[in-house]
Parts: sequence; C-alpha cells; structure tokens
Amino acid sequence: MDYILSGLIQAFELLFQGNPETYSAVKTTVFASSLSVGASMLIGAPLGFCLGYARFPGARPIRVVVDTMLSLPTVVIGLLCYAFMSHRGPLGDLGLLFTIPGMAIGQTILGLPIVVALTASAVENLDHRLKQTLLTLGAEPHQLLLTSLWEARFALALAGAAAYGRIVSEVGISMMIGGNIKWHTRTITTAIAMETGKGQFAVGIALGLILITLALLVNLAMSGLKRLSGQ
Amino acid sequence: MKERLYHLKNLTQVYGDRTVLDVDRLDIQIGTITGLIGPNGSGKSTLMRILALLEKPAAGQITFQGQPLTKVPLDLRRQVTMLSQEPYLLKRSVQANVSYGLKLRGISDTRQQVSRALEKVGLDPKRFAQRSWRELSGGEAQRVALAARLVLKPQVLLLDEPTASVDRETSGLIRHAALDARNRWGTTLIIISHQLTWLRQIADRILSMDYGRLTPVH
Repeated sequence: MDYILSGLIQAFELLFQGNPETYSAVKTTVFASSLSVGASMLIGAPLGFCLGYARFPGARPIRVVVDTMLSLPTVVIGLLCYAFMSHRGPLGDLGLLFTIPGMAIGQTILGLPIVVALTASAVENLDHRLKQTLLTLGAEPHQLLLTSLWEARFALALAGAAAYGRIVSEVGISMMIGGNIKWHTRTITTAIAMETGKGQFAVGIALGLILITLALLVNLAMSGLKRLSGQ
Repeated sequence: MKERLYHLKNLTQVYGDRTVLDVDRLDIQIGTITGLIGPNGSGKSTLMRILALLEKPAAGQITFQGQPLTKVPLDLRRQVTMLSQEPYLLKRSVQANVSYGLKLRGISDTRQQVSRALEKVGLDPKRFAQRSWRELSGGEAQRVALAARLVLKPQVLLLDEPTASVDRETSGLIRHAALDARNRWGTTLIIISHQLTWLRQIADRILSMDYGRLTPVH
C-alpha cells in the first residue's frame, strides 16, 4: 500500500510544481481530442440529421452499421489507420504517422459513430408537432432543417460530450498512430501505460487524476445538457 | 357577395383503407369566420391541415385564391397559418417564439410588433417577452403561440380547439383577438371548438362534421 500512497503524494507534487513532461502530455491530449471532436461534430451532425430526419431506402442498414461501429475497438481503428498512413499505405506520402493530425484522424473515426448515432436519435425524438409548427409559420425546407437542428442543440452538444469522453480516454489509437513520442505525441493515456510499465506510479497517478478530472467535467457537462434537453 | 378564398369539391382524404374526409362542396369567403364542430375523430383536424396547406387530399378539387393546392406559391402559403390544439413552442424565449415567423420573412426589427401581439393576447411584454418557453403555464403557452400567429397578420387563421385547455378569461381574450384580426386585417378564420356557445359568439356560420361529412348547423 505504501507505494500507492507515496505515488499519490508525488503525483500532487508533480501537478502543483507544474512538471513540464506531465503538462506536455495534457496539452497534447486536449489538443488532439479537441481537433477530433470538432471534426466528428462537423461531419457527424449533418450525417446524423439526415439519418434521423429523412426517410430513404437503405436507412435502416446504415443505422445498423453506425450502431455496430459504436463498439469498434480502438486498436482496430489504430491498426486500420496505421495500414493507411504507413509508408506502404495509400496515405503514406502525407506523413501523418506519428503526428497529432494523424492521431486526430483515428480519433475522429472513433467519435464519428457516436455523434451520428446520437444525433440521429435526437432528431428522431424531436416533437412531432415541430415540423407542422414550422411549416405553418412559413418555413422553407432549409429553414425547417436549420431550426430543427437548433431545437436539438442540447442533444447535439450531448453527442459531442459523449464523443469527447470516449476520445479523451482511448489509448489504442494514440499509441499506434501517435507512437507515444515524448514532448510530441505522448498523451495522458499513453503516458500512464508507459509510466506504469516502468514502475513510475507517481507520474501515472498524476496523469490519472487529470484524466479523471477531465472525465468528471465531461460527465458534469453531460448531466447539465441532459437536464436542459428535458431528458 | 364576398370573394371566394377556398373552394373544395368532392374532396376525400384516406388514411390506410379508412376514409376520414368526404366533403361534397365547401366554399369559404374572404373575411368570414367559420365554426366547425363535431365529435372526436370526425375529420375536423384533417380538414384543417388540408386548409392549412400542410396535407394533400387523396382525391378531389381544392383551390386557394383560385389556385390549385399543388401550385400555391410560398408567398401565398405564408398567408395561411394554423394554431393546433396543443401548440408547440420553440425552445427559446417568448420574444424569439413570437418573432420566428417574421424572421423567416426577412423582418429583423421585430420588438414592437412582438410587443403588440403579446398585448393582444393579454400578456404584458415587459413581464413575458424575455421569459423562457419552460417558464410558461399551459394557458400562457397557448397565448404565446396565438401571438406568434397574430404577429404575421395572416390572411387565413385556422384555430384548432383554441379554448380547450384555457380558463374563461383566456377564452374571452382569444375570442377578442380573433375578432380583432378579422376586423383590422380582414383575416378569414376557421375555428374548431367543442364549445358551441363560444362558437356562436364569434362565427358567421357553423358547420358540423361527422364521419368526414359536413352539414350546416342552424
């Protein structure tokens, strides 16, 4: 037990003394996950809206594929991205491997199904009177779409928060695509895995505390959003 | 003789294999108030949705200002608005709800018009304009929804059970606002209500609907 306790004490020392290596991992994590959540929302929200709003042949199979992708293991995404981004892969010339943009692409693939599925559900669950109300007030088709999306804004933000929670805590993609390079692509999760392997519990615990704080903030945001959306 | 606004002939609406509406002929003149009564499920709301240009009939003829329903352009469609029995309010402030229709029409300075519309339905703009939709009672929400229609100065206002869930005072306010719209802007009103006495105070004529068919009430 002693080594856990001393690890915890050292962790607080590292955090409060502003250990540069620790904060480099935090910075990389926040930057990469923010990039990927932004991309997931930009691509996923319109797709989810179409999937939840429009009735078209093939919508149900697409929904099944999206729902299946919700449980896609991060190492599988990491493996596929690695295959595409390595020198022998079709995207090899772009030099994305072992970079933050490369990690963000992989994490976007992780967050996208979450955003699409939750947006589609939110749009499906919009009040059935909304469309009639907008039409009778004189909305044109594009105004109907934009207002409906705005009416689902809390649920959309909830989708973003859920995607952020999943992305910020993943390790497989960051490790395989980022390569855990110190001062460059090392994230909180890859650092925890490495430091624990080296027996450096203090750094691991310090980073773990930050990760838990981030997860707590995301959860608080989600419960607030749920309250606002009336769920 | 007033000019004809709606003309319906041999109009039917079918849901599945059930005929819910079967109107031989109905003419509605500009600036009139038509009351519609009838039991639940008799087809009143279906007729209202068709008149609101929200739904197409299965068969028959319907013209609005002499134009077939399929060819009614946006600017003409925007002259018709409907208030349903359980109106939906956007998840915004009262001000934003009432001004929504004006903004769709490209009108940005809406504050005064919104204030006047709220006053018409008996809500003090100073107290209510900035309130959130979630801070309203059922009756207040109903009045805000009516204000959102009145602010458009519509040529046609369709009211589906506007007094169903409001108190006597609000019911009187709604009657006054409806009559005011007709007298000021020449609005044509079609009103569904179960309250025959209330309807008699406001309507020029009352029609009864049963099993999708219309008969006049004397």
